[in-house]
Amino acid sequence: MKSSPNKGVLLQYWLSGALGGWGGTSDGKHKASTNAGGSVHGNSRPGAAGGGGGKVGLSGGLTQPAGWQSLLSFSILFLACLAGFSSRLFAVIRFESIIHEFDPWFNYRSTHHLTTNGFYEFLNWFDERAWYPLGRIVGGTVYPGLMVTAGLIHYVLNLLHITVHIRDVCVFLAPVFSGLTAISTFLLTRELWNQGAGLLAACFIAIVPGYISRSVAGSFDNEGIAIFALQFTYYLWVKSVKTGSVFWTIGCCLSYFYMVSAWGGYVFIINLIPLHVFVLLLMQRYSRRVYIAYSTFYIVGLVLSMQIPFVGFQPIRTSEHMAAAGVFALLQAYAFLQYLKDRLTRQEFQTLFFLGVSLAAGMVFLTVIYLTYTGLYVRLLTCYAKIHIPIIASVSEHQPTTWVSFFFDLHILVCTFPAGLWFCIKNINDERVFVALYAISAVYFAGVMVRLMLTLTPVVCMLSAVAFSSVFEHYMGDDTKREKPPEKAEEGLGPNIKSIVTMLMLMLLMMFAVHCTWVTSNAYSSPSVVLASYNHDGTRNILDDFREAYYWLRQNTDEHARVMSWWDYGYQIAGMANRTTLVDNNTWNNSHIALVGKAMSSNESAAYQIMRSLDVDYVLIIFGGVIGYSGDDINKFLWMVRIAEGEHPKDIRESDYFTPQGEFRVDKAGSPTLLNCLMYKMSYYRFGEMQVRRGALTPPGFDRTRNAEIGNKDIKFKHLEEAFTSEHWLVRIYKVKKLDNREPLDHKLRSVVPKQKYTSKKVPLMLGGEFALQVWRDSFRFS
Amino acid sequence: MFGKLSISLFVLIIFYHDLSDAQKKKETLLSEKVTQMMEWASKRSVIRMNGDKFRRFVKAPPRNYSVLIMFTALQPQRQCGVCRQADEEFQVLANSWRYSSAFTNKVFFASVDFDEGSDVFQMLNMNSAPTFLHFPSKGKPRKSDTYELQVRGFAAEQLARWVADRTDVQIRIIRPPNYAGPLLLGFLLAAIGGLAYLRRHNLEFLFNKSVWAFSALCFVLIMTSGQMWNHIRGPPYAHKNPSTGQVSYIHGSSQAQFVAETHIVLLFNAAVTMGMVLLCEAATSDMDIGKRKIMCVAGIGLVMLFFSWLLSIFRAKYHGYPYSFLMS
Repeated sequence: MKSSPNKGVLLQYWLSGALGGWGGTSDGKHKASTNAGGSVHGNSRPGAAGGGGGKVGLSGGLTQPAGWQSLLSFSILFLACLAGFSSRLFAVIRFESIIHEFDPWFNYRSTHHLTTNGFYEFLNWFDERAWYPLGRIVGGTVYPGLMVTAGLIHYVLNLLHITVHIRDVCVFLAPVFSGLTAISTFLLTRELWNQGAGLLAACFIAIVPGYISRSVAGSFDNEGIAIFALQFTYYLWVKSVKTGSVFWTIGCCLSYFYMVSAWGGYVFIINLIPLHVFVLLLMQRYSRRVYIAYSTFYIVGLVLSMQIPFVGFQPIRTSEHMAAAGVFALLQAYAFLQYLKDRLTRQEFQTLFFLGVSLAAGMVFLTVIYLTYTGLYVRLLTCYAKIHIPIIASVSEHQPTTWVSFFFDLHILVCTFPAGLWFCIKNINDERVFVALYAISAVYFAGVMVRLMLTLTPVVCMLSAVAFSSVFEHYMGDDTKREKPPEKAEEGLGPNIKSIVTMLMLMLLMMFAVHCTWVTSNAYSSPSVVLASYNHDGTRNILDDFREAYYWLRQNTDEHARVMSWWDYGYQIAGMANRTTLVDNNTWNNSHIALVGKAMSSNESAAYQIMRSLDVDYVLIIFGGVIGYSGDDINKFLWMVRIAEGEHPKDIRESDYFTPQGEFRVDKAGSPTLLNCLMYKMSYYRFGEMQVRRGALTPPGFDRTRNAEIGNKDIKFKHLEEAFTSEHWLVRIYKVKKLDNREPLDHKLRSVVPKQKYTSKKVPLMLGGEFALQVWRDSFRFS
Repeated sequence: MFGKLSISLFVLIIFYHDLSDAQKKKETLLSEKVTQMMEWASKRSVIRMNGDKFRRFVKAPPRNYSVLIMFTALQPQRQCGVCRQADEEFQVLANSWRYSSAFTNKVFFASVDFDEGSDVFQMLNMNSAPTFLHFPSKGKPRKSDTYELQVRGFAAEQLARWVADRTDVQIRIIRPPNYAGPLLLGFLLAAIGGLAYLRRHNLEFLFNKSVWAFSALCFVLIMTSGQMWNHIRGPPYAHKNPSTGQVSYIHGSSQAQFVAETHIVLLFNAAVTMGMVLLCEAATSDMDIGKRKIMCVAGIGLVMLFFSWLLSIFRAKYHGYPYSFLMS
C-alpha cells in the first residue's frame, strides 16, 4: 500500500504530459490554438521529469500524434483506475476481506439471499427475522440494483469457473466501480471541456476522499455504485443534448434506470435534468436537440423508473417528480409555439403570443414553481427543520457541513473549483449550463447535509480539473520550441515564470495526492466491526469483540431467539449472528424503536414488562468503559431517551436523566433515574469490582470513556442474567429470564373435596385469569 | 319534639347564613381580584408586579387562577443578557396565550423585576435571575413548580410544555413572523426591478456573463465556507476568553466553527480562486507584457499564500494532521 501516494504523484506527472500537450487541440474554444505538432513537443518537458512516458512522444508523435494521444490517455485512465482501486484496499490489507459497518451487512445478507434463492425469491422476500414481531417486506423496500449487480458478477464468475465467494464480490465491488466512475467522469468532462481536463478529472475522482469515504473495499453500499450511474447518466445526457439523437437518449434512460434501481438519490437526476432544460429555455437556447432529448428521456425514463418495485407509482404521485412533468409540459408548449411561429404572420403570432403564452406559461410556471417549492426544495431546504425529529437528528450524517469537512474531503479542489465554474460560465454553451447548475445545486445540498457531500464530489473534481487544465494549458507548453514562427507582437510570459508556475501547481497536486492517501488511510478505512488499537511502541492490538459476541450468539442460542439491541446493531446481529432482531438500521417504524428505547431507559421491572410483551430472549448492549471506546450505548443513551420520550412522554422524561445542574453524569452525582435504568445497570453490572488499569491509581469501577467512577456499583438483577461478556467487555449480552414459578403458598391450602372441583373451577373465572390458573393448579396438585 | 326540631333548624339556618356570608365575601374578593387581573392582562400580556401586588394577588389565599411569574432583572445597570433573551421568549409565550382563542382567566403571566420588588426576592429566598415559578391555583408550589432553566433552556416552546405540564393549559406558540427576511428580499427585488427599469432600453446586463458568473461564485463560496452550518447552528461570532480577554476567531475543534472563522475561510477560498483566474487571464489577455507578468506573479502568489494559510488553519483545527506548506 505504500506505493499508493507515489502512484498518485506519478500520475500527476503523467498527466502533466498529457495536459501540456493537448490542452488546446481537442476543443477550439480557447485562445491558445496550438496545432498538433506544437502540442507534441510539449510532451517532452514533463516526459523528462516523469520518465519514460514522454520520450516516445518525441520520436513517434511527430508522425502520428493521434495514436500516441489515445495510447497515453488510455494508460492514464488505466493508471487512475488502478490507483483508485488500490487506495481503497487499506482495510482489506490491514484487517481482512470483511464487510464494514452497518448497512453493508444488510446489503450483504440480501445479496446472499439473492444468490442462494434466486431473483424472484429475492423480490418476494419477507424477512421475518427483522422487526419482530412485524417482519419486513425486503423485496419491495430496497433498491435492488446493488444486490443484483453483485449477484450478477458472482453468477458470471461462477459460470467461468472462477469460484469466488459472494462476500469477496461484495467487498471488492465498490473499488471496481470507482474505476468505472473515473472513466465516466473522464467522458463527461471531455464533453464539457477537453480531453486534458477529462484526464485530470478522472485522476481527481479516483483518489478524492469525498468519494472514497463511501467506496472503500468492504463498504458494500448503494452509494458505491450509484455515483458511477450518476456520472454515466449525466454523460449520456450531455451527449444527447449535444447530438439530439435518440440513440444517446435511450442510453441515458437505461443508465437512469440503473441509477433508480441503485439509489434513492436518483431524485437528484430527475430534478437536475429538467432544471437544465428549463434554464436553457430561459436563456433562449431552445433547439430541436433539446426537445428530442428531453421528451424521450422523460417518457422512457418515467416508464423505466416505475419498474422498480420500491419506486412504483411515486414518479407520477410525489412532488419530487412533479418538476420534471411540469418542464415536460412547458417544453411541449414552447415547441408548439415555435411551430406556430413558422405558420402564422407576425401580427397574428404576436397576439397569440401575448394571450396564450402569458396564460399557459404563467400557469405552468406557477404550478412548477409551486410544486417544486412545496415539494422538493422545501423538503431538502428544510432537511434541517426535521432535526426536531430525534430519530433523524440522531444520525450523524444528517448534520450540516462545516468548512472543515469540505476541506477534509476535497482539499485543494474546494478552493479551485469556483475558478472552473468561472471559466465554464464565461465560455458558456448548452452543456456548460448543465455543469454550472449541477455545481450550484450540489454545493447547496452538501452544505445542508454532510452525507450529500458525495453528490458534490464529482462536480468539484470536474470543475477543478477544468481550472487546473486551463492553467497547465497556458503554462506548460514550451513556446520557444514551437515550429511555427513566433507571431509578431505575441510575446510569451517567458520560460522562467512559466516553469515556476508549473512547478508550484504540480506541487499543489502532489500535496493533494498525499492528503488523499493520508485521509483514506486514517479516516475512512476502518471496518468498525473490528477495532484496532496501537501501543506506544507501534504494535497493534486487534479488538475483535463484536464478531466474538455475534458468533457466540450464533452458536449458543436457540435458532429463533429474539435479540433486543439498539437499532444501530440490528443489521449486524441479523447478518453475523443470524438471529431475530426487534429493530434495525432501516428505522421505518419509529414507535417500535421508541418502545425499545423505553425499555432501555426504564427501570428493570418496567423494562421487563416491555420485554415480555415483545418476547425478548436476549439483550445485547455495547459498552466501551473498559477500553475507552466512545461510540458505546451509554454515549448514545440520551438519543434513546429522546426517541422514547417522543412516543411516551408520560413515562420517560429527558430531564430525569440529568443532574439538577443539567449534566449527564454516570458517577455518584448522576440522577437516580439514570443510575437505576436498565441500560445503566446492564452496562455497569459487575463493573464496580473491576480495576480497569492494573497498577494505575484509578479506583475500581472507573469508566475510561467518560472518565468517571461509576455511581452505582451494587447492581443486582431480578429478571435478567448475564449471558456473555466479550473479552474487552465491548459487547455484553443478557438473558431475559422466563417468568418465575409462582411461589408456594405459605398457608395451608384449602382441602378441596372432589365434588367441589367444578365450582372451584367456575368461581375463579369471575375473579380473573391469574387467580383461576392458580386455583386450577392447586386443585390439580391435590386431586 | 317539634320545638327541638325547630330550634335545631333555626340554629342551622343561622349558621348557614353566617357561612354563606363569609363565602360571599370571599367570592366578591375573588371576583374583584380576577377582574383586576383580567384588566391588567388585557393591557399587557405579562403583568408587571411589585411587592404589594405580588402579596395581594399571588400570595394571598382566595385565588382560583394559576400565575406564572418570571423573576428577572431587566434594568440596564444589572447587565443581565440572559434575562433579556428569556424575557423575549416569555413575552412570546404570554402573547401566544393572550391572543389565543382558548384564553381564559385560569392562567396569568406576570413578571417581577428585582429593582421593583426586591422584597419579593427576599421573601422567596431567591438569588438568581431569571427564574420561572408557577403558583398553582390550589395548594403550595412544589419542587416541580420551579422551572429547570439550566436543563430545559428558555425557549418559548419548552416553557409552553412546562406550563401544559403544570396547569393543563395547552399553549400553541405563535411567534410573530420575522419581517426582516421578506423585507430584505422585497428590497432586493425592488432594487433589481428599479435597475431594470432605469436601463430598460438596454437589457444587455442580463446577458452579461460576468455578472452571472460572479453571483454563482458568491453562492458557491458561501456554501463551501460553511455558512449553512452557521445558519442552522447559530454559533457565536468569536469567542472571548473571560479571564484573559483574548479573542479567538478560530474554534479549536474540527466539529464546530465560529462565524468569524467562516468569513476568513470564505475570503481565503475566494483569494485562491482569484489567483487561478488571474493566472489564466495573464496568459490569454491582450495587455502589454509587463502587466501580464505582474498578473501572473500576483496570481500564483495568491494561490500559494492563501492555500498554505488555509492549510495551516485546517491543521490547527484538525489535530494530528501531518502536512503543511510554507506556514506551519
